[in-house]
Amino acid sequence: MNIIEKIKTNKLIDDQTEIQKICLHKLQSSPLPNPKSELWRLSNKSKFSNFLDYSINEKDSKFDMPYPKNSHSTIRLIIGENFKIKLTEKNYSIEQLSEDELNKYIKEQISCFDQNENWSDLLNLSLSCAKNILGLKINGSKIPPIEIFSHASSNSLNAKTLVIFLEKNCEIKLLQVNLGKENSSLSQSTFFCLEENSSLNHGVVSYGENRSNLLNSLNVIQQKNSEYNLGSLHFKFNYARFEISIKQSVGNAKTNIKGMQITKSDEQISTYTKIDFNGPNGFLDQINKSLADDKSHAIFEGSIIVPKSAQKTDASQLSRNLLLSNLAQIDTKPQLEIIADDVKCKHGATISQLNEEELFYMRTRGITLAEASKLQLSSYFQEIISFIPVSKDRWDLLDTVLNQN
Amino acid sequence: MGISFVRVYKANCNRLFLDNMDNENLVKDVVKEPYKYGFVTDIETEKIAKGLNESIIRLISQKKEEPKFLLDFRLKAFKKWKKMDEPDWAGLGYKKIDYQNIIYYSAPKQKEKISSLNEVDPKLLETFDKLGIPLTEQKKLTNVAVDAVFDSVSIATTFREELAGHGVIFCSISEAVKNHPDLIEKYLGTVVPASDNYFAALNSAVFSDGSFVYIPKGVTCPMDLSSYFRINSGDSGQFERTLIIAEESSSVSYLEGCTAPMFDTNTLHAAVVELIALDDASIKYSTVQNWYAGDEEGVGGIFNFVTKRGKCLGKRSKISWSQVETGSAITWKYPSCLLLGEESVGEFYSVALTNNLQQADTGTKMIHIGPKTKSTIVSKGISAGNSINSYRGLVKMGTKAAGSRNYSQCDSMLIGDQASANTFPYIKSKQPNSEIEHEASTCRISEDQLFYLQSRGIEFEEAVSMMVSGFCRDVFNQLPMEFAAEADKLLALKLEGSVG
Repeated sequence: MNIIEKIKTNKLIDDQTEIQKICLHKLQSSPLPNPKSELWRLSNKSKFSNFLDYSINEKDSKFDMPYPKNSHSTIRLIIGENFKIKLTEKNYSIEQLSEDELNKYIKEQISCFDQNENWSDLLNLSLSCAKNILGLKINGSKIPPIEIFSHASSNSLNAKTLVIFLEKNCEIKLLQVNLGKENSSLSQSTFFCLEENSSLNHGVVSYGENRSNLLNSLNVIQQKNSEYNLGSLHFKFNYARFEISIKQSVGNAKTNIKGMQITKSDEQISTYTKIDFNGPNGFLDQINKSLADDKSHAIFEGSIIVPKSAQKTDASQLSRNLLLSNLAQIDTKPQLEIIADDVKCKHGATISQLNEEELFYMRTRGITLAEASKLQLSSYFQEIISFIPVSKDRWDLLDTVLNQN
Repeated sequence: MGISFVRVYKANCNRLFLDNMDNENLVKDVVKEPYKYGFVTDIETEKIAKGLNESIIRLISQKKEEPKFLLDFRLKAFKKWKKMDEPDWAGLGYKKIDYQNIIYYSAPKQKEKISSLNEVDPKLLETFDKLGIPLTEQKKLTNVAVDAVFDSVSIATTFREELAGHGVIFCSISEAVKNHPDLIEKYLGTVVPASDNYFAALNSAVFSDGSFVYIPKGVTCPMDLSSYFRINSGDSGQFERTLIIAEESSSVSYLEGCTAPMFDTNTLHAAVVELIALDDASIKYSTVQNWYAGDEEGVGGIFNFVTKRGKCLGKRSKISWSQVETGSAITWKYPSCLLLGEESVGEFYSVALTNNLQQADTGTKMIHIGPKTKSTIVSKGISAGNSINSYRGLVKMGTKAAGSRNYSQCDSMLIGDQASANTFPYIKSKQPNSEIEHEASTCRISEDQLFYLQSRGIEFEEAVSMMVSGFCRDVFNQLPMEFAAEADKLLALKLEGSVG
């Protein structure tokens, strides 16, 4: 826990920004999350400590842009590259947030942080230097799809932060790609602020290499009549956590989430979601799929909170899990906390293996067992992958995922 | 035309709105129901001093003339309890319990040995009569054997001779300690060990009485067995312990009921129930819990912190829990099944109704250890007033539980906009060849349905009661006849109010 020792003794970073100072100060009082809390109790301790073992790296090594390299009609941004962004077209504008705007927003967020729930964000903001924080203000419509990359370098811990303001009536498709390197840790925190009538189709694709770790936190605040769609896919990480917090701050908003995590060998990947309905007429449709093979461990914990003010909320949450090996493990806990009485809330969870009858049917039609399993898996994956924006036409995610299986 | 149509439409809307408002208020009124069992029996009791220490435990053991192994069991548990912290993970907000301010033994004074029910203090018989429990001879026709527990001790057990004819042992646990020490030593604490949790450790140290049931091999118990728990004293806690053993190919249906007087103070009830089912045995354990729930302001009421667990040890054994929880200020209870035997079955059917400031954190644990084990969970929560009603359950598939299945269904009904309904299902699987399904939903009494029933000439109050009864049907169907009727009546009573 190299990083924690340095945080305790305040020897982590020499030139601290104001935000870093605030976060480091908060962390010094209790540098680690409570291992007994619901959010952390299933987290593998040695893997988590491995995440914190690497030393912080502020300089990015050479970065190989993954396939596809050409980016016609797509805006590509890499967090950490020192550039100024200002795009003003007829229908839209994308510009960088000023330092003041960025600091003000982040400080507001920190003031509502809970030491345990937002520990990943506190760590990220303590480690992210100014160069690794990308803040954007997006306005308008007919905006070309945007791809944003975060990557880690081998044998180090990298921290990247993304803040995006979506102005009123704005509509975008955005794909975030988090890439892990061999023996690396990546801490990624993302903050979205969706103004009235805005719509965001958000995709998160995170994949690593051998022994790479990821702490991915996503915070979304939705104003009324906004729509947020999230499609996410996490695979090939020694240890990964995806923490999603969505707040419909005045209700009347729509959220759709389709997420998937795939674990193999001794990996542990977990997804934690918290959806807070703070006003009436909120809508949520969430499905989370896990697939655990070999000796791996997949975790899903989702909570839906419906206070008294959130009348007429319509929320559903489904956790579907495939357990493919005797040594793998799945934990799932979809939970509802409801006070408002005029609501429609439901959740469901299933854990099973591949459907034997379907496999048998396919085999009687001359399809081999391996091919039949692959077919079943591809239909299982397809529902999520087709929901991830931008990737559909440009990334062969289904093939990548199937071939790694 | 257009204008008048709009007006009519608006007027209708307003009426509908008013109707809805009325309905909301009526539903709220309807769930207010005075507690009918809140009386205190004025009877001379023998109490020991308040407080908890080793000498108190020795004193309880001495009063009950217990063998050494039991005293050792108690002392060991007490040692463990002292090292434990009171759990707070359920997030139940209650004032800290002062364990030194509780009387751990309280018993009505009566003749040393009772040879027949005629020798039981008439006041006690009258108390149970008032509660509708058939202790007196003429009421024995109901064909349910009853063990009546008053504060810390069992005062009477009916139908003993008839049961003994079939080889069934049904008596208080104190008697079982004296008459069947071998069975007690063999099984006590094997399902719920003393170190299991804070309240189980406390119970193991100070338990005063409870029921003991032993069904021999191949016997189907000829009648339903029942124990009735009554707390009468305001300053003593109730710590009963129930142990049921069903030998190979035997079966038994066991019913449990409980009430308490109304006191301003909170009374602690920390019971432990252990069930053991061997090959092909089946145990059905039903509870209608109606402890005093405190007043509308949340003053008084029972803290019901109970550990109930069954062990399906044998092949094809079955344990079924069904419960109707309407009382207690706070309920903290998870009747569980350890499914060890191949093809063993665990079931949990529950209705929990909370009102005013009641808090219920209840659910079950189904631990699948053996292969081809099956479990079913059906939980119905109804929350009214400012209450909190949570389902918290665990379904776990171990590595050897190949071919196992679980199905869980948790439905919540909300009455009023101040009550809260939570669902926390924990699902863990280490076995790919097993299936787990969980579903949960939340609803409220729909105005359309109420309106429909009312338009068919059904009174509002009855309509609400019918809908609640329909919502709970899946669970009521699982209750034994007498209990189903009682539970339906109890819910209807709780939902009966100023209407009509």
